Amino acid sequence: MTEPTVVAGAVIASDKSTRKPPPPEKASDVRRRTWVILSFWFIVLCLLPIWWRTTTIYRANLPLDEMLEWADGKACRPVFPLRISIQADALQEQEAQNLLRLTQHALDDLNDFSGHHLRLQLSPPSTVEHQSRDRDDDTALIIRLVPGEFTSSTLDPYAPILDITYPPNTIPSPTSSSSSLAAYVASQLRTTFAEEQAIISYLLSTNSMPTEHRPQGLTPEAAESLSKRTTRSLKYAPTYHLTFSLFTSGPLPSSWDIEAAIDSYMRPVLDVLSPIHNFTIDTQVQLYASPGVQSQILNKEDLSSFVNAAEWPLSPSIGGAPTINFILFVGNQTIGSTAPSSDNPDDATNITTTSSWLLPQWGTVYLLSLPPSSPHVSLATLKQPLLTFTSHLLSLTGTPQSGSLPLRLSTLARIRSADLLLRASSTLGSLARLSLALPSIAIPGSVADGVQKTMAHLRLACETLGGAEGLAHARIAEAEAERAFFEKSMVGQLYFPDEHKIAVYLPLLGPMAVPLAMGLLNIVKEWTKRRREKKERGVEKKNV
Amino acid sequence: MRRFLSFIFVSLLSSCFIQSTTASADYHEQLVLRPLPLSALLASFNFRSNTTLSAFEAHNFRFFPRSLGQILQHAGTRELHLRFSLGRWDAESWGARPWDGAREGGTGVELWAWLEAETDDEADHKWLTLTNALSGLFCASLNFIDGTRTTRPVMSFQPEGDHPNSTVTNMHLLYGVLPHEVVCTENLTPFLKLLPCKGKAGIASLLDGHKLFDASWQSMAIDVRPVCPADGGECVLEIEQTIDMVLDIERSKRPRGNPIPRPLPGHELHCNSSKPYHAGDTCFPVDSIAHQDWSLSQLFGKTIKGTCPLTDPNTPPVCLQVPDSRAVSISEGAVEKKNGDRVSRCFDIPPEADFELALPRPEAPTSPPAQGESEDGIQLLIEEEVLVKPETPLLYAERSFTGHGQERGGVQTILRNPSPDTAVEFIYMESLPWFMRIYLHTMAARVEGQASHDNPSLIHEVYYRPAVDRARGTQLEVRMRVPPASTVFLTYDFEKSILRYTEYPPDANRGFDVAAAVITILAPGSGSESSESDGAGAGAGAGAGAGAGAGAGGGQQRRFAAAAYSLRTTSLLCSLPTPDFSMPYNVIIFTSTAIALCFGGMFNILVRRFVAADEGPKVGLGPALTKLGARLRPAFERLVRRKGRRGVDGVGGEKDL
Repeated sequence: MTEPTVVAGAVIASDKSTRKPPPPEKASDVRRRTWVILSFWFIVLCLLPIWWRTTTIYRANLPLDEMLEWADGKACRPVFPLRISIQADALQEQEAQNLLRLTQHALDDLNDFSGHHLRLQLSPPSTVEHQSRDRDDDTALIIRLVPGEFTSSTLDPYAPILDITYPPNTIPSPTSSSSSLAAYVASQLRTTFAEEQAIISYLLSTNSMPTEHRPQGLTPEAAESLSKRTTRSLKYAPTYHLTFSLFTSGPLPSSWDIEAAIDSYMRPVLDVLSPIHNFTIDTQVQLYASPGVQSQILNKEDLSSFVNAAEWPLSPSIGGAPTINFILFVGNQTIGSTAPSSDNPDDATNITTTSSWLLPQWGTVYLLSLPPSSPHVSLATLKQPLLTFTSHLLSLTGTPQSGSLPLRLSTLARIRSADLLLRASSTLGSLARLSLALPSIAIPGSVADGVQKTMAHLRLACETLGGAEGLAHARIAEAEAERAFFEKSMVGQLYFPDEHKIAVYLPLLGPMAVPLAMGLLNIVKEWTKRRREKKERGVEKKNV
Repeated sequence: MRRFLSFIFVSLLSSCFIQSTTASADYHEQLVLRPLPLSALLASFNFRSNTTLSAFEAHNFRFFPRSLGQILQHAGTRELHLRFSLGRWDAESWGARPWDGAREGGTGVELWAWLEAETDDEADHKWLTLTNALSGLFCASLNFIDGTRTTRPVMSFQPEGDHPNSTVTNMHLLYGVLPHEVVCTENLTPFLKLLPCKGKAGIASLLDGHKLFDASWQSMAIDVRPVCPADGGECVLEIEQTIDMVLDIERSKRPRGNPIPRPLPGHELHCNSSKPYHAGDTCFPVDSIAHQDWSLSQLFGKTIKGTCPLTDPNTPPVCLQVPDSRAVSISEGAVEKKNGDRVSRCFDIPPEADFELALPRPEAPTSPPAQGESEDGIQLLIEEEVLVKPETPLLYAERSFTGHGQERGGVQTILRNPSPDTAVEFIYMESLPWFMRIYLHTMAARVEGQASHDNPSLIHEVYYRPAVDRARGTQLEVRMRVPPASTVFLTYDFEKSILRYTEYPPDANRGFDVAAAVITILAPGSGSESSESDGAGAGAGAGAGAGAGAGAGGGQQRRFAAAAYSLRTTSLLCSLPTPDFSMPYNVIIFTSTAIALCFGGMFNILVRRFVAADEGPKVGLGPALTKLGARLRPAFERLVRRKGRRGVDGVGGEKDL
């Protein structure tokens, strides 16, 4: 081991023998060189933060934890307190209170889903009907108890009122702990709200809600039919654009009484829906429109390709509102008898009839066969198509199918607010995950702003869930969340990867960095050498 | 030309009259065929549909296309004009333009519209909406009409429709042009979709992308305007769709399966027998009347499939403009009606049957040569017999670049007035891209043959809105006059600016298209009216300058009567200095090298110690190699020694066995 070093040392020694050693350096020169190198490094170190500040991507602070909490459903437990008032004018205050208590007990026993809570209250006996209508906002349903021959119940088709008649002997005595009338009222209430409960619990279960809030009693079949219904309905929008189109395969007919038909058959429903949605309407007539399927009898597979998207001018409306298309096709094609699917009777009766079918999230096609040379479609002919369109419109907007119309609409408002709430929360979660997953993405201040607004409105919506205010807040929250998520300037920086930065910086900074680093290295070397020499000198001195 | 127009006018007027009696006639269509010299055929398709304003506002669309109606409502558009054009109208041989030039645009896409808006900003915003929506509807790059390509013409355009006085004050005219756009089949398909009968019936069944875009010149136009009947009836919104195309008959007649041109056999050539060398084996072809035999199915590849049932039954769907003496064969069931002006006839078509129209080859009259007339006389006679002589246009215009080099250039427009006794007054409008910076002081007009100094009587008024780099283009409107039977040169110089790296299009070396100049010839009546306000007008034009343009525009709205004739020059191709596009990388490398040299040198001078040549350590490869050798040798020797030892061990092991 020692031998080769000796050899090398000899070589170097022989080499050096021809050269003179350099004269000893002045201490001031050494010091000056050190200062030069250090000042260069000082400048570099001073500039580093500036460079860092100017080239870094702006990322606004997002409340990531809170956002994820919302997405996981931990921030808000959606509860729909439904107030139901009982009008029992024929009963004594005491009796009525007792009946109320018993019914509430029975309801609480039946209910397995804490998010959907029915709370009963007694309305003062003097309440006149128009007053109760004024208070529609906070009472979901009014039960009118009327003495009668036997126990029966009817839903008022025009107002949220459930009429229950009872034989006088079924009034519970103040001491009894159970009553058949109370049980009957409770079960009636439950069936009335069963669909709403199912839909809301389905919505919660499809989102990432923690399991303890989830209802248990959702059978797979029910879940499947609910999922079909939710995929069919359009995404919530404050305004929908309805387009009525008359397509004919030949030159006739070329005119129709659509305006009058809409006014007489569809306008009432649109007016009822107006608190939740606005509608704009346009109509058109298109001749020589050949359908996408030419066969005489349409099978189930043909229905989806019947609409000739390439040739029919069904461009969605401009402006933000989504378009619902209602197509009246005049031709001699018919739907084959096998077309309605037999596996789902619900589908067969509601969605596909012998002349019309619903295209999920898009609209409806109605086949109308007319005598060949009729130039005009009359109001009477339009009645059946328009009624079909109206029922499909309700299904496209996601209105529940059972119950009276006012109940269905108030249910729709609650379902929509739950839906919007969950959607906004999940958008927040996606945004949070995105910003965690892409560290190089820019987050402008407007996004943080949008997130703040979303969360503020979500909180308000969560507090006022079930009412009109809740829907409004949920609507704003959803819009803000979408705007924050689809912020344009976030995308731009994504396509400037780190490799490009290296390609620019390396040729520029490499030639500077090497001499600087070598200079620093030399200083360090000299410094250590000097220290060692000093030490050795000190040891020698000691030895001496 | 005037004949053509008066004929159309009469037919439209008659149909308008009939419309007032029969309520259902809200749709008209008509095809006018006019053979042109040099084996060309002008086919003018015209479709007009009406909707009442009340139905339009209630969103009930029947003949008016819903897709377009929605856009117009959304963007607050009161009047819209959209043009898709291709090719060049050869005025020298084809004469005046169809529709007096009112239904054509420059090469590419041209759009102008009157928008209802309170402020200029609002108008800009609506314009943006309109261009974006139309871009989607017509599959054209109309969304590229941004601020740099948008101008607000002051004198050139007048609204065609009847607008109530309350809206006129709030109407803003915006004009955008895309000269680079290639018009193609994907623009025709949405155009046909707007028609009530699509391309399935009526004259529209002739339209086919293969033939339309193979034409020598074609222009598709869409015009939407409100029309109020004179008798005070309800106002209607009228959409007029026009397609004009000049087919090269010889080219169109080539079979689709075998499109290679082949020489005609000798006996089918039309020869000019007046040439001295005319003989059995030499021929100077007479182009002007050659190939004047054709049929619809030869030219368009198909026949007309009946009539559109919605069309007004009193408007004849097909008209042909040839002298009455020519025989025309039509398919059975159709009825020929001569119009009485000796040069046009119309045809009524049975609603269900296909319609075919054929012109046989014109027969040269046999009697005149027998009488010993001069050869030229026969030639003239034949041409008169075969074709309706095209009308002379009011003005010929051509525009070209002058100058050389990459820095400066000039534009020269040659305007020729063919009329022997009437002067032509017109407005010449250019909307130039911002990277052409024009020098307005170099603008000059001179009459050919006169001294080259500026002639003050030619240019009456100049409206100039200078460009702003990257924000808006130059707008130049010149009201000028060309004396009878003379040629005027309008010239100006410009400077080419240098673009930024990212502003070059992918095919930068091709050059940049400069939009066609729009020449609007004023009706003779309005010329005298406006000439008295010349001095004031010029002052106002200069003063209006940049800022007050829009306000002045409102005041000038009705200063000129409707245009008598309008024409477009061809578009130009301006080549700008094109950089080498690897530039940024070269710059990076160059900068790095420079920094390495400067910084490295300076730093070394500051830091190194200078000693005599024999005092320092030896430099060069030699010592470095020896040093390396000295470093490596011990390791190498160690390796060798270890190997040797192992070999000995191994042998020993074997011996043990």
